[in-house]
Amino acid sequence: MAESETSNIREPLPAPAKERRFSAQAIAELEEIASHYPERKAACLPALWIAQREYEGYLPPPAIQEVADRLGLSYAEVEGVATFYTMYNLRKRGRHHLEVCTCLTCAVKGAYEVVHRLEKELGIHVGQTTADGEFTLSEAECLDFCGAATVMQVGDKYFTQLTPENVKQVIDQLRNSADYTPTKLADSLVKLLIPGSSETGGGSFAPKDLVNPAGPML
Amino acid sequence: MPILNLLYENRDVQNIENLDVYEAHGGYQGLRRAVTLERQAVIDEIKTSGLRGRGGAGFPTWIKWNGLPKNFDKPHYIICNADEGEPGTYKDRELLLKLPHLLVEGMIVAGYACCGTAGYIYIRGEYVEPAWQIRKAIDQAYKQGYLGKNILGIEGFNFDLYVHMGAGSYECGEESALMSSLMGERGNPRLKFPHAPLPVIEGVWKSPTLVNNVETYCAATWIAKNSGAEYAKYGTERSKGSKIISVSGHVAKPANYEIELGTPLMELLKIAGGITGGKLKAVIPGGSSVQIRTAEQCEKINMDYESCSANGTLLGSGGFMAFNDKTDIVVLMRRTAEFYMHESCGKCTPCREGTRWIYKVLDRITSGAGRQGDIELLLDICSQIDGRSYCALGDAAAWPIVGAIKAFREEFEYWITHKRSPIGEDAVPPVPVVVNPLLTLTPA
Ligand SMILES: Cc1cc2nc3c(=O)[nH]c(=O)nc-3n(C[C@H](O)[C@H](O)[C@H](O)COP(=O)(O)O)c2cc1C
Ligand code: SF4
Ligand code: FES
Repeated sequence: MAESETSNIREPLPAPAKERRFSAQAIAELEEIASHYPERKAACLPALWIAQREYEGYLPPPAIQEVADRLGLSYAEVEGVATFYTMYNLRKRGRHHLEVCTCLTCAVKGAYEVVHRLEKELGIHVGQTTADGEFTLSEAECLDFCGAATVMQVGDKYFTQLTPENVKQVIDQLRNSADYTPTKLADSLVKLLIPGSSETGGGSFAPKDLVNPAGPML
Repeated sequence: MPILNLLYENRDVQNIENLDVYEAHGGYQGLRRAVTLERQAVIDEIKTSGLRGRGGAGFPTWIKWNGLPKNFDKPHYIICNADEGEPGTYKDRELLLKLPHLLVEGMIVAGYACCGTAGYIYIRGEYVEPAWQIRKAIDQAYKQGYLGKNILGIEGFNFDLYVHMGAGSYECGEESALMSSLMGERGNPRLKFPHAPLPVIEGVWKSPTLVNNVETYCAATWIAKNSGAEYAKYGTERSKGSKIISVSGHVAKPANYEIELGTPLMELLKIAGGITGGKLKAVIPGGSSVQIRTAEQCEKINMDYESCSANGTLLGSGGFMAFNDKTDIVVLMRRTAEFYMHESCGKCTPCREGTRWIYKVLDRITSGAGRQGDIELLLDICSQIDGRSYCALGDAAAWPIVGAIKAFREEFEYWITHKRSPIGEDAVPPVPVVVNPLLTLTPA
């Protein structure tokens, strides 16, 4: 596999064109969020989430440029922020980004077996995306739900108590869902910042199964 | 009673995340009581309670609260550290999910006591589901007049509360890195006292800033409602009250348990259903940043700040991980080292380079290429990080490795000499054959 296929390092691209993709609603959201802070710059992380939603789930250079322009920051400054945090995608991800925790507790409870099963099931290695663009597989650092090991994050959801046996079920379930999870996640992360959004159907609440979808844990 | 449900008093009440149910169970009584007191009296209650920060460092909470200027000259910011990232810890997650109003109320109490103008809850980006509960709780609290202008009808008591989502960085849990991140920067830590003013004098946007952990604010709510003296009845001489411990690993009932500080470690283990899949081999009592202890050492440890440090480890954030005798400590430490290498922010050399070196050497050992002298090399690298790094992440990367070598030296030696695991074929975690292509490291 070529290095560029697997890593989160961007391919060299020509100087960014001045693209503008923020919708009127996105601009309104950005202005609302920016009003929460004494300085506009503080809206940088949220603005990158908006951009990740508007630019199909990742941040190509034009997305960085648009954020920089809208916040009055330099390209380099925003690029610096975007490259620091792991949840900003610098490359396009599959429709479902599977992030399996292999940190301490998950590792002793069989996370690597889950990863191997996923690799076999999907025919890819960690860090790669399936040819049909459906799945990207990654290892994650602790997702902090260790009691429910093995844990996997897909977009805005956690799947818990995974084993090599039950992970196929999760894959099938995801295949049948219509969501494009990277943008869905970005959308949630933007809506969460907007006062009153819990009433306007921003979040899909199901407090009963929020705590642990997979079993009696907790 | 080892189990001590103070914050968890109403955890299992149906729909307790809703304001009306929360109020029916005594919710917002703490705030109502607090506002009948002078601001200083609220801080004194916290002092009496003996509450210490639950985010990991155990710093006395009242000293921070008392440190903010007692005037309204500048805006004061009240920040909640909900960037829970320490491997092994998931207590904040459950508090956010099930008891969001307990946190919101605690932050309003802090806002009152510390002349706060606005608050931010910095939640790690992965915690979307918990964050929605907080969003809902804040929206409800605004409607009910607990947030906004003239709170509870008190002229001039204004406090706004915002949600801020992180984007995937353990380092942003570090207080000053969190402040950088909140201001829209890379999550690098900032210069600390005495080289720079304390955050309570000059934090975010050069204004006085209070940063506390989720559990700390939740405990403040309890104290505001029931009094500091009541809280101080529990716990030990210097570790007062209760602590939520997230139990995971090879135990029958992994979950969050709120226990009285000072509870013997072995008793907590019993509460969590005991060890599964073999005998107890080791425990990491306070999250990945603290030293692992052998089963024998565990007998002597009580779950409080003093007893843990007297026994060469730390209570930390309460991420309690128990391991059975199938666990390969060396491979486990390799994974720990990988975590810190990945999460190092790169600002200072000892940590940026040192965490990579630790990982490389441990990876070499567990891939069967260990060399005589590697143990000394590891100890040497660690000694050059510990105390020499810009923030505590560097120390936290070194401590577990040194701790593990001290407690399980013979297993490191076995790996180096025999080029295989002392546990055998069925050791956990297995040496990963997953080649993480994000890491382009070649063996040293
Ligand atoms: C690398 C590192 C990561 C940390 N992560 C967290 C965290 O996730 N949550 C937290 O509350 N404190 C964390 N802390 C501790 C904070 O720096 C700080 O001590 C804490 O937020 C203060 O709140 P407290 O006094 O209520 O504990 C971390 C510290 C370090 C050095
Ligand atoms: S110790 Fe240095 S490199 Fe490591 S996280 Fe802190 S500042 Fe960054
Ligand atoms: S170790 Fe996997 S969630 Fe913490």
